[in-house]
Amino acid sequence: MKLRGLQKGAMLVTVSALLIFGITLLGWFAFGCYISDGGQDWNVPMKEYSKALTWDGKNYTFTGENLLEEDHWMMLLNPQGQVVWSLRKPEDIPEQFTLTDVASFTRWYLEDYPVQCWVRPDGLLVAGSPRGSVWKHDIAMNTQDLLQTPIWFVGIFLLALGSVLGLAWLVVGRWFHQDQQIRDAARSNWINGVSHDIRTPLSVVMGYAAQLEDAPDINLLYRQKASAIRSQSQVIRDLVNDLNLTMRLDCEMQALRKELLRPETFLRQIGADFLNGGMGTEADFEIDLPETPLPEINADPYLLRRAVNNLLTNCVRHNSPGCLIRLGARRADRWILLWVEGGTVTASKETVSYQPLESDGGAAHGTGLRLVAQIAAAHGGKAEFHNGTPYRCELWLPIKES
Amino acid sequence: MAYRIFIVDDEPALQKMVKEILTQEGYETDAALSCAQALERFRCAVPDAVLLDVMLPDGDGFSLFGKLREIRDVPVIFLSARDEDEARLRGLGLGADDYITKPFLPQELLLRLKAVLRRVYRETSALSSLGNVKIDWGKCTVHRNGREVSLTAKEFTLLKKLWEARGNIVTIDTLCAALWDGPLVGYENTLMVHIRRLREKIEEDPSHPQFLLTVRGLGYRLKRGEGQ
Repeated sequence: MKLRGLQKGAMLVTVSALLIFGITLLGWFAFGCYISDGGQDWNVPMKEYSKALTWDGKNYTFTGENLLEEDHWMMLLNPQGQVVWSLRKPEDIPEQFTLTDVASFTRWYLEDYPVQCWVRPDGLLVAGSPRGSVWKHDIAMNTQDLLQTPIWFVGIFLLALGSVLGLAWLVVGRWFHQDQQIRDAARSNWINGVSHDIRTPLSVVMGYAAQLEDAPDINLLYRQKASAIRSQSQVIRDLVNDLNLTMRLDCEMQALRKELLRPETFLRQIGADFLNGGMGTEADFEIDLPETPLPEINADPYLLRRAVNNLLTNCVRHNSPGCLIRLGARRADRWILLWVEGGTVTASKETVSYQPLESDGGAAHGTGLRLVAQIAAAHGGKAEFHNGTPYRCELWLPIKES
Repeated sequence: MAYRIFIVDDEPALQKMVKEILTQEGYETDAALSCAQALERFRCAVPDAVLLDVMLPDGDGFSLFGKLREIRDVPVIFLSARDEDEARLRGLGLGADDYITKPFLPQELLLRLKAVLRRVYRETSALSSLGNVKIDWGKCTVHRNGREVSLTAKEFTLLKKLWEARGNIVTIDTLCAALWDGPLVGYENTLMVHIRRLREKIEEDPSHPQFLLTVRGLGYRLKRGEGQ
């Protein structure tokens, strides 16, 4: 599911990039076409106007009136700067121009009229447009800078493209994350609801089974059956609890309530609770702690207790009628190793790194051990499961940096 | 006198089962299926403790908890199918005496209820016996074979802590916390000295203790005497 979503996201980003690239190319092509004729002609090329204006020895004749728009005008200056012919010339345009005037209007405006010029053997042909209709600017550039322009252009384009792609990636990532969050929340709510509804009937089953198990007036065989119902109900209870927590850890919905823990104090209390709760009645229990005090760890005691309890319970369940269970801790470089060993439980892998739930929302097999690995990962550590006799599990947790 | 326990749970089958468990243990019970019913019956029932569900048909247990406490200050144990940290912390944060998550074993419920009742209705002048040793918690005196034995304050605190959890292991750290107000590193040897001296005072043969037992690596356990 996640892979499909990522593929979809990557495809969207690629399509966006191609689209941007295509539009830019089109823009370049259009610009190229526009400037192919020099980029100087706003309407009809000056060359056409010039061809249409002829001298018959006495007068000038202009045959291109259809080329000149209504509100446009023209004039011809002789080499002395005098107007020798004009068509629709505005009244505020003088009849005589100096060199300075000519030098100025060829680059800028003539009395605010945007004008184009064309050099002819008999003078300078000037075509004017209405005021405010055309923007013109004289551009001059160092040749070296001009040659660098394409590099700048490509650089800016790549920068823009990168920004757009980054933004698109962020948007797609956010969209994908939101989508994932909605799915996770729905899945978590569903599991939460089911496990909530299962708890009350399971209490009744466990309660009555425990009562029957202890009833002295019932046949031993039935008491054993009641015992089996009670113990299997406990398995379901633990499974429901684990499933809920594994789901919350998987969806990052479980907040860690970390505090400083002394590994010795923490493990001794777990060991005492394990024996006080009657879990260790069939097993021999030993605790193995170093004589030198261990450094503190920063961990969520509730979650860590859950992980160690899961391992102890696993040892008991898979090694009936009993085995030696050892609980201990030691330091290894910048890590504290909490370990449980005993019996011959077989894990599917030597090192279980936690994997997300199956796509259909169901839990993978071995939720208990998976939860242990998840809890270790949530603390920035790892869990290692070593097959063999005795079966050994190590929880590697980082030492609190002082 | 039997303690009276008030059960508030909207599930009749569970309520019936809890009633049976408590009755078998000698408790008196009263019950309600909703908030309204609970408020009505709580005034007349005058219970010694309340087992309270969180999700009720006409309200939530957390709100009901406040209303019940306004009427009477009794110990309350939440008995809920909600196992999230938030719910547990909210319940305990409101001032509940315990929070039990469903499903639970009858024994677990009974032990936790007993612990709460013992803590709340502690009889200060109660007398206890451990073999030939008689302890008067009110007067802080210990007699062995009829003769008074002098215990230091630390030894008496140690004995009391172990007595409160008798039958169960009490870790070295818990004992250190009780004696020196915190699980201090390096106090284990001092604790061993106190334990040895206490054994000399309460055991017939301190080298082979019958009551104050060592659980290697974990702590100590005060064995239950006969009839306890």
